[in-house]
Amino acid sequence: MKRRSTNRRNFLRLGIAAGATALIASGGSVLSAISAPENKETGEKIKLLTPDGKLVEVDKGHVCCQPAGNLEARQGLPDKKMVMVIDLAKCRNARKCLQGCQKMHHLPPHMEWIKFYLLRDSEEMSPYWFPKPCLHCNNPPCVKVCPVGATFKRTDGIVLIDNDRCIGCKFCMAACPYSSRVFNWEEPKLDKGVDAAAYSPETSSPPKMGTVSKCDFCPDMVRKGELPNCVKSCPNGVFYYGDRNEDAVTNGTDTVRFSELIDTRAAYRFMEELGTEPSVYYLPAVDRAFDYKEGFEGLSEEEITLYKKEANITE
Amino acid sequence: MYEDEKTQQNLYAFKPQLEKMSNWGIALIVVLVTVIGFGVYALYIQIVDGHIVTGMRDNVVWGLYIVNFIFFIGISYAGALISGILHLLRVPWRTPIIRMAEMITVISTMIGPAYILLCIGRLDRLPNLLLFGRIQSPIIWDVIAITTYLSGSIIFLYLAMIRDLSILRDNPVKNARWRNPIYKFLSVRYKDTTKQKEILNVSTDLLSIVIIPLAILVHSVLAWIFGMTLRPGWHSTIFAPYFVIAAVYSGTGVLIVVMWVFRKIYHLEAQITKIHFNYLGIIMIILGALYGYFTFSEYLTSWYGSIKWDMEVLYRLFNPHEYLALFVFAVFVGVLLPIIIVTVPKFRNINSIAFAAAIAVLALWIKRYLIIIPTLESPLLPLHDLRPEYVKYSATWVEWALTFAGIALFILLFYLFSKFIPIMPIVRTGEEKDYSRLRKIVFEKQMKKVIKHHNKSDAAVTGMMILLLLSFTPSLMAQDDSKIQPLLKLEYFHIDSVNKLAATLKAKVDGKFLPLEDMEIAFKYSQGGNLTVMNISTTNDKGRASFDIPEEIIASGGDKGVYLFEASFAGKGNYESATGRNSMKPLRLELSFSQKEGGKMANLKAFESGPDNQWIPVENLDVVFYVPRTFSLLKVGQASVVNGAASVEFPTSVPGNQLGYLTLLAKVEDNETYGNVEASGTINWGKPLPADKILKRGLGDTNAPLWMVYTLIVLLSLVWFHYMYVIYTVFRIRYLGKS
Repeated sequence: MKRRSTNRRNFLRLGIAAGATALIASGGSVLSAISAPENKETGEKIKLLTPDGKLVEVDKGHVCCQPAGNLEARQGLPDKKMVMVIDLAKCRNARKCLQGCQKMHHLPPHMEWIKFYLLRDSEEMSPYWFPKPCLHCNNPPCVKVCPVGATFKRTDGIVLIDNDRCIGCKFCMAACPYSSRVFNWEEPKLDKGVDAAAYSPETSSPPKMGTVSKCDFCPDMVRKGELPNCVKSCPNGVFYYGDRNEDAVTNGTDTVRFSELIDTRAAYRFMEELGTEPSVYYLPAVDRAFDYKEGFEGLSEEEITLYKKEANITE
Repeated sequence: MYEDEKTQQNLYAFKPQLEKMSNWGIALIVVLVTVIGFGVYALYIQIVDGHIVTGMRDNVVWGLYIVNFIFFIGISYAGALISGILHLLRVPWRTPIIRMAEMITVISTMIGPAYILLCIGRLDRLPNLLLFGRIQSPIIWDVIAITTYLSGSIIFLYLAMIRDLSILRDNPVKNARWRNPIYKFLSVRYKDTTKQKEILNVSTDLLSIVIIPLAILVHSVLAWIFGMTLRPGWHSTIFAPYFVIAAVYSGTGVLIVVMWVFRKIYHLEAQITKIHFNYLGIIMIILGALYGYFTFSEYLTSWYGSIKWDMEVLYRLFNPHEYLALFVFAVFVGVLLPIIIVTVPKFRNINSIAFAAAIAVLALWIKRYLIIIPTLESPLLPLHDLRPEYVKYSATWVEWALTFAGIALFILLFYLFSKFIPIMPIVRTGEEKDYSRLRKIVFEKQMKKVIKHHNKSDAAVTGMMILLLLSFTPSLMAQDDSKIQPLLKLEYFHIDSVNKLAATLKAKVDGKFLPLEDMEIAFKYSQGGNLTVMNISTTNDKGRASFDIPEEIIASGGDKGVYLFEASFAGKGNYESATGRNSMKPLRLELSFSQKEGGKMANLKAFESGPDNQWIPVENLDVVFYVPRTFSLLKVGQASVVNGAASVEFPTSVPGNQLGYLTLLAKVEDNETYGNVEASGTINWGKPLPADKILKRGLGDTNAPLWMVYTLIVLLSLVWFHYMYVIYTVFRIRYLGKS
């Protein structure tokens, strides 16, 4: 078969674009595991499925590894609809997801794209840990109010921010009912190399003073067929991530049917009554693997007190 | 022209205001400019250091600036109300105060938007509002509405000035070398001819009709910035009318204060009388009562419904340790005190009414603070932060400096403007002449009738330390004398008729296996006890190195059909050498699909290499079936191969591509004899994927809903058509004055 040397975007339309079953060479994980280090011109060929079921072979460098530019990043990965399922029964507030996230996005320690709450619905009920990334709503209040379209909803369900366009009016922060957004209040202190890297809304890096940022669902990783760092860093497999169009989510160890998971585990979306239609689903904290108190490990006395106050725990 | 006695008297009384500048005036300007200069310095700091210098943080994203923004746009209502409504109703006593009201409108509409600019993190990107503006955003509504309102107010103010400008042209002002030509130019040859008079009156009426609904819309749009969010205390349908009423209330208050000040400094006791204070005082308390009613309705509804989040905001407002004192002042004192002062005859005089107005204005400023801050401090999820400045808003000196700079700028512009043109019209219009008679009879009667987290950083530091430790452990361990024994795992893969060896090198550090990067791995092939090095490659960041086994080695037949491979690591630094072995027997899998009456089946055939390069069916082999997904393989079934064959039902419920093409993988995993072998096949039996949605118009999309576009076009053209017409009439006046 003639190899295609069209540009990446056209190729995506043809290959990953239309063919939902993308990397068939060996199955994503194995392939990326044996492949050469990322971001290099690989010379390595991978096979992709065209819409009519034919296989074509392309250089891996053409399909992955480089995050999209500002305009291209508005398109969304074709035919994908990214979703996350968070299993509250397995979370013990270890915060490894946050550490992984901060490392990957070069965030200062206080800038949290995943926030941790100790929720308790009423006094008779038991408290549970509640990690919360951006919920990537399908009816996003933040996107509606943006005056310049700096934050946008993509066809693949991801809500991104173009930090080159954002004017920093913070309206989206006021509009987000989930407190998912944070502001770069001062000039970000960046490591060398990070600040010189080319900006992409898909990596949200390097951050820019006077603009808004938040959890970006790691579309740059999706392009590479890799899981976001929060999913990979969680020691308990709390985060499942995947493409709803493929009906599959994975936490790195287990891959399960998305429809089955949310059906059998009675998943819910947070504050569904607001009509925001989040892309993040929560599995209720039943048959828990940990006592909520284990989540206090490693926290300061002050923070424990604050959590107890928020959850109305008196002891 | 204007030979009437009143006009001459006024000219005589007002001209000195334009001709002299008192020492007090100069001192005032110096003070104001100093305050403004300090504000500019604060702005410079804010631009250079970022918004970190303000009290705004991730939860309270807006602070004093937005409060001032609402406040200034609010007081701009004075002009819309007085000049618009009073003009249309031909209220006789309006003339002396009408220009002050219009000036309040123009000046505060210029200062107000400056405060919203101060909330913006990237002022350098303001052109984006024009380049990428989305009319779905209430901020764009505001930009459009305020610019339209400001333009209208300026035109309106100018129309009302034309008569006076013509008088000043005919009676040149002393010490006004550069002002006199301006008067001449702006007076557009107005000579008060019948035709000119008629045109001017029609235009003024027209514009005052346009400006009233426009003013209501402007303040509604401002309220919608808050009303359109899903925040407790903001997301309320009453917000737009509530803001409108509060705005008119504060606008009237400011007008009374301004009247009182100019009456004092320019000695206008003859022109601005008690009657003006009384009438405006009555208007003010009616508005104050409406504002009190709206406030009561708003909080009663929230309290009665007692939704959790609404209650949290109410709790803050009624908490003596938070906002109770301010709330009492803004709502009770701010409404009741003016009502008492104006309605009880004993308390009612010019000074007390001005005092009541000042209290009302202050209360309204505080009310805006109470609308913004407590709501932002009460997010729907708990505000979990250990840094106190992120939990509780308190304005910094930068914000206060800019607040006072705005007030100073307001006063300065007002003062300078009063040096350019008299603070009240020189020319008395027709209906005005009856006014002195009117006030005695009507007013007293009317009055009688009317009376009726600090240690968050600890946790963060600990987190950082753990990260640091993890990243440095290999090097820390290097200082240790004991060497580390890494693990080398060698796996065999047969994928798409390529034979691959993959070696993974890991070392246990602190109880955790970490991959070793950049290590050399030698791949070897053993035949009859002789080891041959086939290839040396380097591990990647996942500790993995791979090698495609050349065809001729497979073709050699191995050791009775069995091949033995070895990978070795020679050791480096503190890592000891390690070896991994793998023996395998070639296995061939063939996947095919068939459709029987029972359903769609995937059939697998498995052969192993026998002696003499023959392929013989395999007995007993576990095979797992997968479907490749973006990140991983989704298991869809498993089967045991018996007599070289197995079959499973095809997973038809799993989504394929748009035509339903789905790839199925059959895998033998980590088998002791065969290693890892897989086969794949693709067929259009999967669930077809629905086509990508076509871009539509909507609130969250790039393009706005059509009704929104049409509404905007209709409203804007209506308003701007009138502006254009009025501007045209000004040229017409100029043309008529030629003869």
